Amino acid sequence: MLAGCIACAVLIVAMLLWVLGYLVSIGAGSISLAFFTQLPTGDVVNPGGMKHAIIGTLVLVGLASCIGVPLGVAAGVYLSEYTQDRWLLGPVRFTADVLTGVPSIVVGILGYELLVVPMGGYNGWAGAFALAFIMVPIVARTTEEMLKLIPDSYRAASLALGATKAQTVLKVVLPAATGSLITGVMLALARIAGETAPLLFTALGSRLLSLDPSKPFPSLTVQIYTYATGPYPEQKRLAWAGILVLVALLFVLNVLIRYVASRSVTRGIA
Amino acid sequence: MADQLMLWSARSSGVVILLMLASLITVLAIASAPSLKAFGPGFIFSTDWRPNELESPKRDAAGSVVMEDGEVVMQTIAPEFGALPVIYGTAVSSVLALVFAVPLSLGAALFLVRVAPKLRAVGPLSFLIEFLAAIPSLAYGIWGLFVLAPILQNHVEPALARMLGDIPGLSWMFHELIGDGPDAINRELPLTGRDMLAGSLILAIMIVPIITAVARDVLRAVPRVQIEGTIAMGATWWQSSWSMLRYSRSGLFGAVMLGLARAAGETMAVTMVIGNNNRISPSPFAPAQTMASLLANEFAEASGALHRSALLEVAMILLVMSLAINIVARYLVVGKASRTAAAH
Repeated sequence: MLAGCIACAVLIVAMLLWVLGYLVSIGAGSISLAFFTQLPTGDVVNPGGMKHAIIGTLVLVGLASCIGVPLGVAAGVYLSEYTQDRWLLGPVRFTADVLTGVPSIVVGILGYELLVVPMGGYNGWAGAFALAFIMVPIVARTTEEMLKLIPDSYRAASLALGATKAQTVLKVVLPAATGSLITGVMLALARIAGETAPLLFTALGSRLLSLDPSKPFPSLTVQIYTYATGPYPEQKRLAWAGILVLVALLFVLNVLIRYVASRSVTRGIA
Repeated sequence: MADQLMLWSARSSGVVILLMLASLITVLAIASAPSLKAFGPGFIFSTDWRPNELESPKRDAAGSVVMEDGEVVMQTIAPEFGALPVIYGTAVSSVLALVFAVPLSLGAALFLVRVAPKLRAVGPLSFLIEFLAAIPSLAYGIWGLFVLAPILQNHVEPALARMLGDIPGLSWMFHELIGDGPDAINRELPLTGRDMLAGSLILAIMIVPIITAVARDVLRAVPRVQIEGTIAMGATWWQSSWSMLRYSRSGLFGAVMLGLARAAGETMAVTMVIGNNNRISPSPFAPAQTMASLLANEFAEASGALHRSALLEVAMILLVMSLAINIVARYLVVGKASRTAAAH
């Protein structure tokens, strides 16, 4: 049975290599400088590049982080530092956990009902909102876990020196956990950068390089999906190239997460 | 002063999290009300999903076509919405995915906990599995569409049809009934490679990492005494592993439920390979549709208020179902596994 166990592990690794191997080999054959520098031409034989979509994804993820990171970190601080609110902490923690499991397409529909219908059309704000919605519970829970690793002696020492609670949190606890907090934020970024479903009914996607979030907004994932499910072979090649870029980006993020996590101060303390 | 500000901003962020879930439920409930009113609880059991009006010849009581002035009288049939095909599709594809993924994941988790440390392979393997979990579902979808589906269509499914098609009692797998009543035609199912089987396989590949990661953490939490005790009793490697699995069965069940929750809500990859057909077919080789893929396909182009509302009711069912699965899963895993593994 030991053999069966080893076979399972080998099979999973083989599967990963099979999937990744295809993504890398076909993607690498389809990628070119034009992919990064050109806009879509509208011509199906010579479809141009995905510059607009790359910029669009960066803007959407940036906007989402502007809302999602402060809110998530604040909620994490609340969960970890304000233990006097015991009656409220349990429900908040539980809700955050449950929210991480909400299907992302349902979040997209919420964005549609709350921001697309009232604003009269698909727009980038709705897309950023949907991504932020996915981000907040992840950042909140990882922040809480990381702050809990900071020993209570830090807080006690700070308070004993006459610091207020706010000073203790802002100047002692949060700085001590910065490395791990970055890990948590990057985990959330890695998650939302690859999301397609919440953007389908919110940002919708666009073939133009637009920096106005009140209009339909381009994103790498939606553009890849449109090209991949469309009929034109040249656009499918672009989709493969796009997915390679996305996976490579997430690989770099994952390596960075490991690196930051292994060097973070909290790990040293723990 | 600053203290109060800090407390209230932290507290209100906590409240925002509660409001997020509340708004999700309220908005979906309000928006699906028209459909709920129009179809009632029958929505869940009805198998018809027809967003467009239909024209058909009017028939009299005897069943013959009504003619007037030498022309056939037509009547319009109102759109019809029922969620059973997509509920069926979600349930069957998720359960099939679990059937493929669970044994593999438990085996790999045992490997990671009991064998890999001796080989100094924990680090790289854990990284691989976590990276697999981080790959977006769109990437799996594209791989499934361009690699898996053609292989199923050209090699696997014809081979299965040759092997199993002639076995009495299994021919339903390769045939479908078109139409109903006495006009129904029993024809051979076209094997497209974009069907329930492809959807479940892609889902299985996608949930293996999460089940493995959580099961690994659950198994790691088994007390050393428990393992050493069984070995001292003369248990073989397999017998002591079995006792580990038994000891942590509730946590492992939680891990499986987390995988199920992910499978049930998965959208993009499934949409690309499942064939998108709102019909219930017993065959795993027939195209199907899940709740999530129905939403991805139709929501943006919903043909009317009722159609949109019916889709929102499907979204509501999907939300309630995944909340329920998640709550059970988290209740079982709490304290037994790291939440960071469960967070993605």
